[in-house]
Amino acid sequence: METTDFSQPQRQSSKGIIIIFAFNAVTFFKKFFVLFIAFGISILKSKSIGNVTPTMMFLALIAVLLIILVIAILKYLNFKFHLSNDDFHLATGIINKDNTIIPKSKIQNVYIKQNFLQQVIDVVSVKIETAGDKKSEIEISALDKPTALLLKKKLFHKSTVENTQIEDIEEKNIFFKVTPKRLLLEGLSENHFKSFLIIFAFVFGLYSEFEQYLETLRVEDHIADLVRLDDDTFFNLLVTNLVIIIAVVFISFLFSVVKTFIINFNLEVVEHQKTVEINKGLFNKISLSLTPSRIQNLVITTNRVKQYFNLHSLSVKQAMVNAKQQKNFKIVALEKEQLNYLTDKLLTNYSNNGETEKPRPYFMRISAMKMLFFLLVINGMLLGLFGMELLWMNILFVPLAMLYVYYAYKKAYYRISDDFVTIGSGVIDTTTNILEIHKIQAVKLKQTIFQKRIQITSVVIYTASKSVMIPYINEKRACKIYNFLLYKVESQERDWM
Amino acid sequence: MNFTNLQIETDSLPKVEDLDLKPISKSYFKIIILNQLALYAILIGLVFGIRYFIEKEEEVQLNLGYMLAIVLGFCVVNFFISFLAFKKRKYAIREHDVVYSKGLIIHSVTTVPMSRIQHVEESRSWLARHFGLATLKIFTAGESGSDLSIKGLPHLEAKQIKEIISNKVNGNN
Repeated sequence: METTDFSQPQRQSSKGIIIIFAFNAVTFFKKFFVLFIAFGISILKSKSIGNVTPTMMFLALIAVLLIILVIAILKYLNFKFHLSNDDFHLATGIINKDNTIIPKSKIQNVYIKQNFLQQVIDVVSVKIETAGDKKSEIEISALDKPTALLLKKKLFHKSTVENTQIEDIEEKNIFFKVTPKRLLLEGLSENHFKSFLIIFAFVFGLYSEFEQYLETLRVEDHIADLVRLDDDTFFNLLVTNLVIIIAVVFISFLFSVVKTFIINFNLEVVEHQKTVEINKGLFNKISLSLTPSRIQNLVITTNRVKQYFNLHSLSVKQAMVNAKQQKNFKIVALEKEQLNYLTDKLLTNYSNNGETEKPRPYFMRISAMKMLFFLLVINGMLLGLFGMELLWMNILFVPLAMLYVYYAYKKAYYRISDDFVTIGSGVIDTTTNILEIHKIQAVKLKQTIFQKRIQITSVVIYTASKSVMIPYINEKRACKIYNFLLYKVESQERDWM
Repeated sequence: MNFTNLQIETDSLPKVEDLDLKPISKSYFKIIILNQLALYAILIGLVFGIRYFIEKEEEVQLNLGYMLAIVLGFCVVNFFISFLAFKKRKYAIREHDVVYSKGLIIHSVTTVPMSRIQHVEESRSWLARHFGLATLKIFTAGESGSDLSIKGLPHLEAKQIKEIISNKVNGNN
């Protein structure tokens, strides 16, 4: 294949029309989803509303699709990009013409993505992200893969020349490839509370969306029948509850495993000389590069079970990346040695020395109070909904709450070395947060009026990607840390990006 | 290579706790008073409103005295807290950073290094213009939590600080 000349304005692959069309159609139908169902049902019921017959509806639908298609074609025709010396130029817009110019040095990330449809017609999309403006995200939705890779290389070319001259001799090294077995373990050992909440939210969301239709089906009466308590049926109820709990647990397991598989299918970490590349995904194939200088925080998570299987995840937080992208920057199922190696690679000279310190025991008092409040709310709900009958649940809740407080304190620590701050936290998960001191954006001391009496203060550290807190430490120590961090940031004049 | 790695005596670092923070302009308290008074007026109005509507609809007698006492009590406490909190609003501009402290119940001291400031903005509301005050907004690249907004500066001073910071920020680049 001849190399593409990016200096001339050019369109994306003509298959782009299909992608744009499909994308627009899906967003359109998503927006009017409820409306469609409402219309569809009422039309099926009464055959026609006023003069609108099903045939007319069908024709209208086709007309809408045609309009979307025409828009897609126009969008495709008006979408042109090219590279001049150090800038990426993009012209878009059918009626309002937009001309975007991005200097190469401001490009933070270039992703190559491939969703299911793009996999079918064998194209990839290239997403260019800059730090700062959330809106200036640019996506070229259809390019064939060699062109995309070339474009990516060209986009990064300038900035790499500045740093070192020899990125051209690409040393590729597939450093880590996940096996299905490890993915399965990863999914199984996940914190199932989260999956459970997601399922709950999903069901609840569906329910409120279809509440009207469900009402007509008189589901609520049925449920009310089921819930009505009789003494004879108490045993029945217990069994039903048990079945429901087992089903929910099973579903959250299944959900976790399937989710892990879809997101991390064929996860691959490729090591280049300076950067690290992540490839993964089943329906949505993505490929992204991490540049160490752009990294603001590293978050390492694991838990008891995962530790047993030697599974660790590493999330990389970059500046101003939107939440949806942010979760892609996660490498799961790493072994301890691989994790250490990657940490070393992404944070140059990460040293784990420095004293490990713990928050004051006041930490436990605060979490105990939070738990107490939580228990009161739960008890209130149980009392309100079921009367005295379910208060025995406290036998379960109270020890759990105590364990929660105990582990939260046990896992909390912080460590400040010359260039890094490491903060440990977590209850079920064990989370380690690492940030480089010279990337700090601001520091804050926080103290409530009650903490003032007993001289306890928290330190909040802001970076461009997230804020972390060193909770509840001695006031004097907090001031020392505060001054030290500021001194470090202000005396070095190192760039944060 | 001129590389040194001297040990830092942490005790000799510039201390933020010894810093002499400057209180914001006294006339900003007038703005706070006006805002609070408006809030109290709404609250008291609500008490009368609720009484009026509920007694009209249902046959309940609500004790106006108690309700007013509760609301007034809240207003007094709130006013007192606002006054104390006002005294906690202090700031300082150092050579390398901007420090701002505020809050009575949750007291916080935030420092933004000059080298991390993205841009500075000076804004004046209608009331602030009336009292010759301005708000200085300092933006960083971090999430919104790390942005500073120093309210109630004398207009001239806000302008000066803005100039100083802008010069520093541009000078560093």
